[in-house]
Amino acid sequence: MRRLPLIVLLAALAAPGARAQTREVRIDIAGGGRRTQLYCEALVAGRLPAGAPAARQADEVLAGDLEQSAVFLVARAWSGQPPFDVQAVTGGRWKVAGGQVTLEGEVRDFPARRPILSKVYRGPAADWRSLVHQFADDIVLQFTGESGVARTRIAFIAPAGRNKELWVMDLDGAGARALTADRSIALSPSWSPDGSLLAFSTYRDGGSPHLYVVPAAGGKLFQVSARPGLNTSPAYSPDGREIACTLSKDGNSEIYVLDARGGLPRRLTDNRAIDTSPSWSPTGREIAFTSDRSGSPQVHVMDRDGGNVRRLTYDVNYTDSPAWSPRGDLIAFVSRTSAGFDVYVCGTDGANARLVVSGGSNENPRWSPDGRHLVFASNREGAYALYVSDLDGRSPRKLDTGGHAAMSPSWSPSPHSSAAAVPTDVPNSNPGGRP
Amino acid sequence: MRKAPVLLVVLVVGLAALLAAGCAKKAKEAPPTPPPAPPVVQSPTPSTTPSTTPETPGSEPAVTKGDFTDAFFDLDSYTLRDDARAALDLAAKLLRDKPDVNITLEGHCDERGTVEYNQALGEKRANAARDYLVAAGVPAARVQTLSYGKERPFAEGHDESAWAQNRRAHFVLR
Repeated sequence: MRRLPLIVLLAALAAPGARAQTREVRIDIAGGGRRTQLYCEALVAGRLPAGAPAARQADEVLAGDLEQSAVFLVARAWSGQPPFDVQAVTGGRWKVAGGQVTLEGEVRDFPARRPILSKVYRGPAADWRSLVHQFADDIVLQFTGESGVARTRIAFIAPAGRNKELWVMDLDGAGARALTADRSIALSPSWSPDGSLLAFSTYRDGGSPHLYVVPAAGGKLFQVSARPGLNTSPAYSPDGREIACTLSKDGNSEIYVLDARGGLPRRLTDNRAIDTSPSWSPTGREIAFTSDRSGSPQVHVMDRDGGNVRRLTYDVNYTDSPAWSPRGDLIAFVSRTSAGFDVYVCGTDGANARLVVSGGSNENPRWSPDGRHLVFASNREGAYALYVSDLDGRSPRKLDTGGHAAMSPSWSPSPHSSAAAVPTDVPNSNPGGRP
Repeated sequence: MRKAPVLLVVLVVGLAALLAAGCAKKAKEAPPTPPPAPPVVQSPTPSTTPSTTPETPGSEPAVTKGDFTDAFFDLDSYTLRDDARAALDLAAKLLRDKPDVNITLEGHCDERGTVEYNQALGEKRANAARDYLVAAGVPAARVQTLSYGKERPFAEGHDESAWAQNRRAHFVLR
């Protein structure tokens, strides 16, 4: 009976899929080092109608998701990769009929092949990737107790000649689309906590950079701050009610908190130095930011009212780009090197700072919503591209941006995270686009 | 077999020529680019859009961009160097003599440093130059500032000579 809540939860997550059977298998991955070995067998498909997504495409999407999870080591049966020290096998059936896809996903232990997870996912054929991602996330949930991030998206900035546009894509690179076509400079995207909106800074108005919000699904842009001087570095608060940002309307760059429509600015810093790049703690009670008040740029932490400012680290030189982990216990940041930047992680009191990513320049680290991964921009292979690393930093994986250069990534929240009071009324209540 | 050394020599000479050509080409690749044109503006808010008209019609003799020298900065610094002060002294005299000339000072940074920090640093540079001009008698209303951070480099290279070119407060007539 103790399994019942989990089954209910899985059934709820599986909508519109119908039924779920689970057998509880939990593997502790807290150590981070050991990964469960999975053998992915091809989905069995009958005759597929013309134009339908092939089961092999689904096989590859699933295997890619499971590798990306950092929970599993994956061997693909259809590539002739032999099973090696396998602990579980994935497989199932794939049906496409009448514009609908049905995926019957199965996970069995190995070698006994007793069922661990069996679940049916149904949806429109056009959304077939989403069904596969759900299956992958459920497999991660089954093995770790927490859903995976296969259904998340990445916002990023793509250079286009001298200009930069805001883009968004699925984590696996599918569905990439430009959200701006301003032929201007878009920078510093930040997701609203419900994943529906992106705040960013742009030079599209001519003159100084202003803050805008755009629906993540595409659509009209809405101006949220066009005060004199800088309007940069936006960061949605965890409850979606506020946006922390950098303004210089009072003569110097300072951290402010605005309401989500851009009004009621509340100044948090008051200092002749540069203050920028705010990042909220997941409780919303504290904000990490960069300041050069001690002579060189350094990450600091303050309370949400601007009080209790303390420098984060003293043993790492020139630090910037703080990103507070969604679990609340770590802060990622960059430290300057002769080649650019390395990515570090430390405790929220600055203790235990450790190098995570080096080689080339590695910039703008941002957390996955499960706190297991960091996405960052790097020129380690030449042009700037996006990479994902686990906290152990081993062999960062390049994200697929279709061969285009990319920088300033921001990882969406999980699709089933439900933050309260997200300002979905921003667009309608602000039709003129002026604060 | 006896032809091998000859072949080898031909190969080596050929390779050397190719390399030399490659180097020569490379050396030519990164001259300092001319100052950037103002950004393409498609603005829904004309009130905040600075005019990009280079000079006021009818003013004579015309002041041109070439009459101004940009103020350059050290790494991570917004302190005015002696050469920057000299450039700004000349600019202040010019602006005092031509009361109809208005300018925008653009702050620029080299590529080292993050996007957001460089936006703030560029503004510090533009403000330092503006404050100097105002102290030298130029009305503040005639000097706007704007920071591009590292987004509009003058020189595209990735070495100290390019970086030095890109750390500046840049004069734009408006």
